[in-house]
Amino acid sequence: MKKSLSIALPSTLAIAALFIFLPFGSSAEFSFRSYSPEGKLMHSFAPYQWILQQPEFMSHLLLSFKLSLIAVAFTAILVVPSVAWLHLKAQSFRSIIEVVTILPLVIPVVALSIGVQAAFPDWLQSTEYELPLMYVILSLPFTFRILDNGLQAIPLKTISEASRGLGANWPKTIIFVIAPVMRSAVAGAFFLTFALSLGEFTLTSLLHWDTFPTWVTSVSQQNIIGAIALSVFSLTVAFVVLLLVGLFSSQTKKRTEVAE
Amino acid sequence: MINSYGSSKGVSRKGGTFARRNLIIALPLIPLIAYLAFFFFWPMVMVVTDSLKNNDHHWSFINFTTITHKPYSTAFKNSILLGALSALFASIPGAIFAYIIEVRGSEKLKGFVTSLSGVLANTGGVPLAFMFIATFGAQGSAIKILKALGIDLYSGGFTLFSFTGIVFVYLYFQIPLMVIIFSPALHSIRNEWRDAAKNLGATPRKFWRTIGVPLLFPSFTASFLLLFASGFAAYATARAMTVGNIALVPLVIGTLVDGNVQVDQANVGKSLAVGMVIVSALAMIPYLIIQRRARRWQQ
Repeated sequence: MKKSLSIALPSTLAIAALFIFLPFGSSAEFSFRSYSPEGKLMHSFAPYQWILQQPEFMSHLLLSFKLSLIAVAFTAILVVPSVAWLHLKAQSFRSIIEVVTILPLVIPVVALSIGVQAAFPDWLQSTEYELPLMYVILSLPFTFRILDNGLQAIPLKTISEASRGLGANWPKTIIFVIAPVMRSAVAGAFFLTFALSLGEFTLTSLLHWDTFPTWVTSVSQQNIIGAIALSVFSLTVAFVVLLLVGLFSSQTKKRTEVAE
Repeated sequence: MINSYGSSKGVSRKGGTFARRNLIIALPLIPLIAYLAFFFFWPMVMVVTDSLKNNDHHWSFINFTTITHKPYSTAFKNSILLGALSALFASIPGAIFAYIIEVRGSEKLKGFVTSLSGVLANTGGVPLAFMFIATFGAQGSAIKILKALGIDLYSGGFTLFSFTGIVFVYLYFQIPLMVIIFSPALHSIRNEWRDAAKNLGATPRKFWRTIGVPLLFPSFTASFLLLFASGFAAYATARAMTVGNIALVPLVIGTLVDGNVQVDQANVGKSLAVGMVIVSALAMIPYLIIQRRARRWQQ
């Protein structure tokens, strides 16, 4: 039993590595493909040069960055203080807020998009800033949980009472006590909102906006190699951003374990 | 859970100011609740009410009668099948993988697997579709290598742009998703229980049959349900991979929204959306309940 399992681990890891890197490596290979005038397949940086020559590349990338940053800002001013308040004073409301914030995960994004189209007034639907407002909703189930888990093990109430007891006023307590202990959970929530907003496709395309991910799809209709090169590019970015999220959340875990 | 219950009881004991105190406490939560009400609940209420109206804005069930017929019924059948098959083919290997990592992996490896699974489960969408086209499409690298080895998948009728192809692609984010949500359950099976069973004379098989499987079954079911909902509702990958050749509910809603198709009823898209919400909720609500209960002993 034990012996068979010791072979099991390396072979499982080998299969997993193949599972992950076969598509990734293949797309990387594909993204360098180009054809000589005689129609012969060769590899070069041509697809990537092609991307850089597209004026839409930079404009869509910048737009996606801008919208994602706005979504992060809304998470910062709306979600972070609310979760902190839940832990400080409003424990009795925690379970109901927990249920309400998970609902965007239950409702398919496609259905929500239809609702947005039916409900929002025209002035809101005629500006692309409706997107970050909705990205906040889509990331809420995750951001609430990251913040809530991060705070669960920190006795926020006790330490803020201690700070007040030692003579600090509320602004001081918030800046020097509450903000520092929440730092890694907040960073995790920000990264997640940012990554999710950057890659959001469903709502954006159903509301007929063009951001980076939807532009990649339209590129594929004229230049599939270019679209694959763009996918390799955006996946690499997503990998880096999400691994940072993972790093931050594991740091949160360590901190909270120490706190316990 | 227990904490919040206890503290609310504590407040009420202090006297008749219970309601007022609660109101003051709830005040700072109003922005978040108002935001959710406007950007989430209102749109959903609009979907439901509009789905119950005919072209003359009168209450009617006509949209729901329409979607029980073809082509909409086929789309629902396909989407449910896609959710179920991708969940089935992802949950079993995902659970086995998570088990082997849990039992044999070092702490460092476990942490790495969790982070990496998080990344993979979230890399759905458009890039994923193009990645698979680059690998398993007719011109894909893997297909070319296999061809050089004498195996021509495409002559065998395989194509990525089919129902089977989509199930196959979905596994790429479904298996990591399974690893993420099933690992905590595996982690909670304590070695002490295994040792205790062994000391009492249980064979490994008996341990699994009478302790391990009954303990893990709720979490496995919950994970399966989440995977089903995720496969059922996924839009981006399917949208980038198909050219309208496979009827899936999210794609049908997409074409209705784009106005590419003329329909007799203006609100059919909304009734399809309500249908999606119902199917999704049927899977997600039991998932959330099971997870919540399981969390009690998984701590």
